[in-house]
Amino acid sequence: MTDEAAAPPLAGAIAVEISRGVAATHAGRLLCTLGAETVLVEPPQGHPLRREPPLLPPAYEASTLFAFLAAGKKSITCDLTNPAGRVELSALLDEADVLIHDLRPDERVKLDLDEQTLRARYPRLIDVSVLPFGAVGPKADWQAEEINLIHASGEGFLLPNGLAAELFPERPPLKVYGHFAEYQGGVVAALGALSALVGRAQGGAESVDVSIQDAALAVGAFALQRFGDGSLEHRSTRSFKYGGVLECADGYVELLTLEERQWGGLIELMGRPDWMLDPALSDSLERSRRGTEINREVRAWALEQRTADVVARAQALGVPMAKYARPAEVLSDPHEAARHLFQPVEIPGAGRLPVLSTPFHLDGTALPLRAGPPRLGEHQNLLMARRHRERPAIVAEAS
Amino acid sequence: MKPLAGVRIADFTLHAAGPFCTHMLSQLGAECIKIESAARPDIFRKPHPVYGRMGPASFDQVASNKLSVRINLKDAKGIALAKKLVGVSDLVCESFRPGVMERLGLGYDEIAALKPSVVMVSVSSSGQSGPDSHFAGYAPLFGAWGALGYLTGYEDGPPIEMRHAMDHSVGMNAAMAAVAAVYRLRQTGRGGHVDISAREVACSLVGEALLFAAAGGEPARIGNDHLRMAPHGVFRTREEDRWLTIAVRTDDEWRRLAKLIDAPHLLSDPRFETEANRHTHRRVLYGEIEHWTMTHEAGEAERKLQAAGIAAHISCNMKDIAHDRHLRERGTVVDVEDTTGRERAALKAPIRFSKSEVGMTRGTPRLGEDEDYVFGELLGLSREDRDVLIDQQVIY
Repeated sequence: MTDEAAAPPLAGAIAVEISRGVAATHAGRLLCTLGAETVLVEPPQGHPLRREPPLLPPAYEASTLFAFLAAGKKSITCDLTNPAGRVELSALLDEADVLIHDLRPDERVKLDLDEQTLRARYPRLIDVSVLPFGAVGPKADWQAEEINLIHASGEGFLLPNGLAAELFPERPPLKVYGHFAEYQGGVVAALGALSALVGRAQGGAESVDVSIQDAALAVGAFALQRFGDGSLEHRSTRSFKYGGVLECADGYVELLTLEERQWGGLIELMGRPDWMLDPALSDSLERSRRGTEINREVRAWALEQRTADVVARAQALGVPMAKYARPAEVLSDPHEAARHLFQPVEIPGAGRLPVLSTPFHLDGTALPLRAGPPRLGEHQNLLMARRHRERPAIVAEAS
Repeated sequence: MKPLAGVRIADFTLHAAGPFCTHMLSQLGAECIKIESAARPDIFRKPHPVYGRMGPASFDQVASNKLSVRINLKDAKGIALAKKLVGVSDLVCESFRPGVMERLGLGYDEIAALKPSVVMVSVSSSGQSGPDSHFAGYAPLFGAWGALGYLTGYEDGPPIEMRHAMDHSVGMNAAMAAVAAVYRLRQTGRGGHVDISAREVACSLVGEALLFAAAGGEPARIGNDHLRMAPHGVFRTREEDRWLTIAVRTDDEWRRLAKLIDAPHLLSDPRFETEANRHTHRRVLYGEIEHWTMTHEAGEAERKLQAAGIAAHISCNMKDIAHDRHLRERGTVVDVEDTTGRERAALKAPIRFSKSEVGMTRGTPRLGEDEDYVFGELLGLSREDRDVLIDQQVIY
C-alpha cells in the first residue's frame, strides 16, 4: 500500500534546536527528517560543528559532520547572551512543539530556559535535554566526548573482539568508529520527544532528560544481563567460537553460521573437504569446542577466495556472509540505490551530494530529505514572521 | 501515567532487534502482547552453543514487561486468531524475513485492509524492498554491509564485528520510527508501514563518513584517534586491564592537562603548541600522557581530570556499571527479580520524563501466561472456545 501523497509523521510540528554536541544535533536531524520544521538556533559565530573536520571539497566550506546532521534544518542566529536574543528565541518557542537542547542545568537557569520557566511560559512545549551523563545525578556536570562515553557505557571495554582481539591482545580497548554513542543519544532523545508528543494529548507537556551514557548502555543491555547470569564479559573471550572476520584475497568478509542448515551450507561452500565431514562435527556443541581448529581451516580457505564471488555463492547456499564494505561500495550498492537511502542535496561549497536520509521507510518509500544544511542565518526572516503571525499560518507553512 | 498508555502492540518479533524495539515501547507504556508457540518459541528462550552460552539465554532483557500468548501460526485458525488480535491493536511488530508475513496472510496490505488505522513495524536485515531484501543476516553482517564494521578497528588491523549493540541499535531506531507513526496515527487516524533495515541502521551510524566518501574522501580505520582532537585515546593505568579514556578539546584544556600531569616541558615544545601540531605528533604525545596515567589508579586519575574540567572516564566493565552510583541514582540501572526469584541488575528504558513514568512493572512472562486476559477479556473467547483451540493445537 504505497501512498506517496501521505504526509510525513511530524508534518505541522515545529522543533527548535539549541545544540553544540553531536547527540542533540542528531536528535534534531531525526525530527526534521520525520517532517518537523526544525529551526537550528545558532550563536552569531555559528554552530561549533560547522568547523569540525573534515571539510568538504572543493571549497572546504562545509563540515561533513555538520552537513550530515543539519540537512533539511532552518538556521537562524540568535545571541542568547543578550536580552534581545532571548526575546527572539521566545518568539520561536511560543509556536514550537519541541525544544531539543544540550544546555547544562546552570546555563538553562541563566537563559530562563529551566523547566519551571518553560512550563509556565510555553505550556505546550516539550523540552528535551541531551547531555553526556544527563541532567541529574552525581556526574551531571562531568565533561565527556564520544570516546569517554562509549567506554562509560561498557561497549568500549568489550571491543575489539574476534580477529582483531586475537591479533592485538595487548592493545587498549577500541572505540567504534565515529559517533556511535552520541548517535544512540540522538535516537533516544528523538524517541523521548516523540513519546512525550504522544503523551501530551493525555497528560500535557513535560520535560525529557536523556543521557548519552544511558542511551549507549541501553543498546549494550545483554552484557549487563550476562553479568546477572554470573559472567563478566571481556573482549578477549566473547568472540564467536568459529567464523567471524575472514581475510580474503581482496578484502574482508564476515561469516556467521548459527543454525544447523547454515553449517551444512558452509560445507558445500568450501567444497566438502574431508575434515568437515567428520561425524563428530555434526554436533554444534562439538563444533563450539573445536572452534579454533575449525577457524584455522576456514581462514586458510578464505585467503584463496575473492569477496564478491564467495559472498554471492554463500548467500545462494543460505550461508550468512557479507563483505566488509568500504564506504564507497555502500554508496554504489544497487540495493541501497533501490531503497533511496542516499538522496542528493545541495551543500554549500560542495555541490549536490548524496546524504543518508533515515534507516527506515514509511508508507513504502524513504523519507525525503528536503534540503541540504542551511547557511548560517539563512532563515533569519523566520524570526520576523514569527513575531507577526498566528500559529495556524505558521503551521500551514511548516507543513 | 506512561506516555504510550493506551497503545496496544501485537508483537510477532523474535530474537534481539525486534523484541528490543517492543521492549522499549512497553516500558514507555504500550501494552505489548508477545506471540509465540510451543512449536516455535523465541530462540532466545533457549541456550545457544555457538555463543558458547550453555546457561540461561539473554531473554529477560528484551522480554520482561510483556504479556505472552501462544498462537500456532502454521494453522489457518491460528492466523484467524492472530487477525483478531491485530483487530484490537494499534501496532503490529514483526521481524520475520521479508515475505513471511505475506505468506502467513498477515502482510501489511491485508492487515491494513482489515484495519486501516494500524501501524505495522517490520524489522529485517536489508529492508522489505530492494534486490537484497531476502538476505539472511545477523548483527556482525549488518555492520559489515553498512561500512560501520569496515571503519571500526585499529589503523593497521582488520575490520571489527558488531555484536548485540548493533541489534539493539536497530531496535531503538525501530522504536523511534514506530512512535513517530503512532503520533501521526493519533493526529490523523492514518496508519502506515514502518520498514526498518538493519544494514541501513549501520550506515546511519557512519552517515558523516559516507558523505565524506561521496565527496571523494577516503574514510579509514583510525583506532582510538579523533580527526581533530589530540590527546585523545585510551590509556593504561597502574591497575591491570583498567583503562582510562581522555579527550582534550581545546588549547585551554591542553594547558590544564599539562599542568595537572606536571609536564610544563610539553607546553614549550613546538610539536604540541597547536591542536594541529599535537595531532601530527599524537603518538609521541600518547606516551607522555600514559607516563602519568601509569602512575595512577584509574579512578583517581579520572577524578583529577574531571576536577580540571577535562573529559575523562574509566573504561567500564559491567560490574562497574551494575554498581555505579550515578546510573543507580538516575534509575538507569535497577534491580529486578528473574524467573528463578534471584535479584540482578537490569536496565530501564533510557529516558526520564518529568511527569510520566517509564520502566518495567513485571518480569519475563512464561509462555502463554496471559491468555486469560488476552484471549478471554480482550478477544472475548469463552473458556470452552479456548479449550477447543487448545485441543486443536491452535493455541499451542
